[in-house]
Amino acid sequence: MGRFLSWLGSILVTLLGLMMLTFFIGRMLPIDPVAAIIGDQADQATYLMVKHQLGLDRSVPVQFLFYLRDMLHGDLGEALFTGHRVADDLAHVFPATVELASLAIVIGAGIGVPLGVVAAVWKGSWIDQLARVVGLLGFSSPAFWLGLLGLMLFYATLGWVGGPGRLDISFMDEVEPVTGLMLVDSALQGEWEVFDNAWRHIILPASILGFAAMAYISRMTRSFMLDQLSQEYIVAARAKGLSQGRVVMRHAFGNILVQLVTVIALAYAFLLEGAVLTETVFAWPGFGHYLTAGLLAGDMNAVLSCVLIVGIIFIALNQLADFLYRRLDPRTR
Amino acid sequence: MVRSRHMLCATVAAVLLAAGPSRAATPKDTLVMAWNLDALITFDPAQIGEVNGNDIVSNVCDTLVRYDTQDFSKVVPSMAQSWSTSADGLTLTFKLRPDLTFPDGSKATAADAAWSMQRFVKLGFGNSANLTQWGFNRDTIDSAITAPDDTTLVVKLDKPYPEGLILSAAFAQNDAAMILEKSVGEKNAKVVDGKSDLGNAFFKTNPVCVGPYHVSKWDANEVVVLDRNDKYWGKKPNSRRVIVRHVPESGAERLLLEQGDIDVARLLKTEDLVALASNKDIHIEQTEMQGFQYFALNMADPILAKPQVREAFRYLIDYDELGRTLLQYNGIPRASLVPEGAFGALDRKAGQPFKLDLAKAKALIAEAGYPDGFEMKMILSVNNISPNLAQHLASNAAKIGIKISLEQMADAQLFTRGRAREFQIQEVGWGAGEPDADSMISRHAVDPDPRAEAKLAQYPSWRVSFYSKEINDKAEQAKMERDPAKRIALYHEIQEYMMHNGPMVYVYQTIRPIAYRSNVKDFLINPFTVDYGSAVK
Repeated sequence: MGRFLSWLGSILVTLLGLMMLTFFIGRMLPIDPVAAIIGDQADQATYLMVKHQLGLDRSVPVQFLFYLRDMLHGDLGEALFTGHRVADDLAHVFPATVELASLAIVIGAGIGVPLGVVAAVWKGSWIDQLARVVGLLGFSSPAFWLGLLGLMLFYATLGWVGGPGRLDISFMDEVEPVTGLMLVDSALQGEWEVFDNAWRHIILPASILGFAAMAYISRMTRSFMLDQLSQEYIVAARAKGLSQGRVVMRHAFGNILVQLVTVIALAYAFLLEGAVLTETVFAWPGFGHYLTAGLLAGDMNAVLSCVLIVGIIFIALNQLADFLYRRLDPRTR
Repeated sequence: MVRSRHMLCATVAAVLLAAGPSRAATPKDTLVMAWNLDALITFDPAQIGEVNGNDIVSNVCDTLVRYDTQDFSKVVPSMAQSWSTSADGLTLTFKLRPDLTFPDGSKATAADAAWSMQRFVKLGFGNSANLTQWGFNRDTIDSAITAPDDTTLVVKLDKPYPEGLILSAAFAQNDAAMILEKSVGEKNAKVVDGKSDLGNAFFKTNPVCVGPYHVSKWDANEVVVLDRNDKYWGKKPNSRRVIVRHVPESGAERLLLEQGDIDVARLLKTEDLVALASNKDIHIEQTEMQGFQYFALNMADPILAKPQVREAFRYLIDYDELGRTLLQYNGIPRASLVPEGAFGALDRKAGQPFKLDLAKAKALIAEAGYPDGFEMKMILSVNNISPNLAQHLASNAAKIGIKISLEQMADAQLFTRGRAREFQIQEVGWGAGEPDADSMISRHAVDPDPRAEAKLAQYPSWRVSFYSKEINDKAEQAKMERDPAKRIALYHEIQEYMMHNGPMVYVYQTIRPIAYRSNVKDFLINPFTVDYGSAVK
């Protein structure tokens, strides 16, 4: 019980610290949210009135305490730059990003891990060189450019995928949002035509995000594998006459799983933070675009809620990684 | 290994091939637009301060009167079927149509109209200036605008303004003259610190108005859906539904338009418009708007206070070259503060007399006492062509020894710095409310009180510490003048003076390019409205 309380306490302190830091940095930015609401032509009386309504005429520590009070009552406030409740906005944008990031990580890890293993096993071969080039491209290609190029080729020229957005207009409102994940909701409701359309729209942005994740994961996998393959126990396993597949997959790969889990969890967390440029090119109503727009408008209600979610994501994925460590590595139990 | 390679190839193939041909084409009875909706924060007419909101709401909420589509200097009936002005010119009486109804079927009356206008002033957002500049204020608005019966709206004025001017400025295609449903606003009003928001929080997302469409869905940063109001009193809109999709990237928007996944593109940048110009399936409509992009020179700065220095800046802009290059699809070069097309505007030639003349600019700053130049800081937006325009000025200025450093920022920050007078030079835009010289002159030339403590931040003239009693008086005289010829003459004088001595260096009058597919016919587009309901597919 004591351990649990200590664990819970450390998480709460981390989140509080994160919010405090974000709040004070946000208030130091030279952006005035009042201007965004009243427009450039309003008089000073209105300016002062709205400033008071938003509580911005209080001292910054007091503003923070009021924010905390509201948040503890489950009120994230109103997003000034959308005019909607922050909770409603997040219920809309976060699932869109979860869906995109999840498919991207499946693609990234699904290709990146095997590619890294193959590159390590055949170190210096053409396939290793190819993996290196692919990795380099994934790291260095601007998502914005890659997105537009992908749209021109696969959407405009070949017609293989849908254009920007989550669905074609003709499918809008055909599925009742339950989870907010378009693929899941359409499947649950048996709307397979909508599912097919949603798939066509998500596959390109997910592949582009997955490509960058793949570059990172494949390089890390290769590095972990090379480290393991140079260990003495691998030499011993080979001397015992074990097959190449068994040596690589059972012994070497089995021992990098713990590290891989961390790498994939981190890559997933970064994807969940939102990929602003990809979301912009693909008109994807996601978390990253929402957070950036909120930041540029000086909308601290929206920004703080987003930061809180990002913090929770990182903590949750770290906890998940810890849990998997214990499952995968008996020494940590 | 072979198996691994096969798996890899299969995965890639599956990812690509699983996605077969996608369906395009928009539904016949639906008009689909793409636009950047990032700035959209409200549909409440009292609060709207940006282009998207105004554009959409003008298709949701009718106004009392509207501009004649053939001649913007004329005002024609809309929800008000007639009007009259008292002999002393101090009372304006509108007679509303008896068949006005809200989308829920409730009857719209003059009481709704009076309440809407009263809250417009009481809420006091930027838009409220549309009424407050005509003498209405929070204390008197309840008695100034009244509804003696269901179809009569009485407006008491503080001065006998010319009827055409007040109608055009306050009641024609103006957010101030939209009718919201009073009972809905009162029922949904929120009280903060003992003060009612008069339904602002509710109307932000649900403007219940008399108009051809109603807002049926708004997912922030994704989509706005308008459905036809079947109880509309006017001509039935051609499209049953209008969908405005949030597409924040010009290149992506262009691809959607070319593929037929949208009918209308609202955000295209110059390079994409140039690329589309030769596409026979696409039509590009360019509309001269009543707005400007300009450099504001803060006269609180001792260097910029010198008239020769301000004049010199005008000779540092190559208007002709800009017109041929950067301003393509963005604007037309113009140095006068009154936009072409407005009542009292100088014609195109007289409104832009400047040419790039470095020698003259150099001589002017030498005459001002700065033969070796000086240093300046400019603040500007990161958006659109602002950075290119600023670089154009900075580059020419550098040739005569004026070193201008540029500081780019988000719009919210740019506005804040402008309102606080915290700048030397600010590059910014402004839109005139109505097609009358008074609209720009009353804000950009007139400054009722230049003192810092007056905090008249709604006046760009105040932000740059410009004050001229002579101009103030002349502008007031022109505003009240009933003889059109005399009014025009007075406005011409003011424009000539401001063009050489004023604190604003106007660069161009904005153009709004709208690209749409050629199968969209009869789409009515003018500076004051983009009539979604007019489009036929």
